Amino acid sequence: MVTYDHRVTDDDLVFKALADPTRRHLLDRLFERDGRTLTELESELEMTRFGVMKHLRVLEDAGLVVTRRQGREKLHFLNPVPIRLIHDRWIDKYAERRVSALSELKTRLEGRR
Amino acid sequence: MTTTVGQTTQVYQVFIKASAEQIWDAITRPEWTARYFHGARITVTPEHYDSRSADGDVWGDSAVEVFDPPRKLVHGWRSLYDPELAAEDESRVTWEIDEEENGVCLLTVTHDRLEGAPKTAAGVSGTGWTGVISALKTLLETGAPLYR
Repeated sequence: MVTYDHRVTDDDLVFKALADPTRRHLLDRLFERDGRTLTELESELEMTRFGVMKHLRVLEDAGLVVTRRQGREKLHFLNPVPIRLIHDRWIDKYAERRVSALSELKTRLEGRR
Repeated sequence: MTTTVGQTTQVYQVFIKASAEQIWDAITRPEWTARYFHGARITVTPEHYDSRSADGDVWGDSAVEVFDPPRKLVHGWRSLYDPELAAEDESRVTWEIDEEENGVCLLTVTHDRLEGAPKTAAGVSGTGWTGVISALKTLLETGAPLYR
């Protein structure tokens, strides 16, 4: 059996947090309007308050949601930086390779190599 | 209601493996900012936030509200490189650096008071701040700019 004794990387937490439709829906709601309370978010979901809290906690642990106290209220903000880091680390890398492979193919086909 | 996604308070947060002093230098000294902040040469003094292009054009010129190295910096924000953005109300940017364990810091950037600056709000959201902050992290952790 393989055991993973290394610390779970931030990327893992972000991918896990994103691998759930309810959590993606919560991020979309915050993307539309940021700085919302739990009550506001709960009103848009067919889910118990406890369920929403649980999902928000996963998003917070992954750094995708940041909370701020404002008076008596706790406001939830979308933090898009972890998604950007995944984009820079993963998406850019593979997209770039494909583009360079295509441009190489073009060069060869056009006989300019 | 407008469909613009620029929020009036925007919060960005990232862990960076660097000391608080290194991060402070990277956000207040032009030789650092030029390498990750769209080439802007930014100089921050206790009174003044000054941002210039490589050619010396003034991109930002605002007052500093809080100058508490290497923990907290608060300054005004008005983009002067675009007449439409320059005509909007000044907004505010807060940088907070919290030292965590193992040489890691949590950097929080809050851009608020954007009520009177909808074009600015839309411009800095999306790829705006995330691009700058991602490039800052890469520069500090690898010593190399993210984009060549």
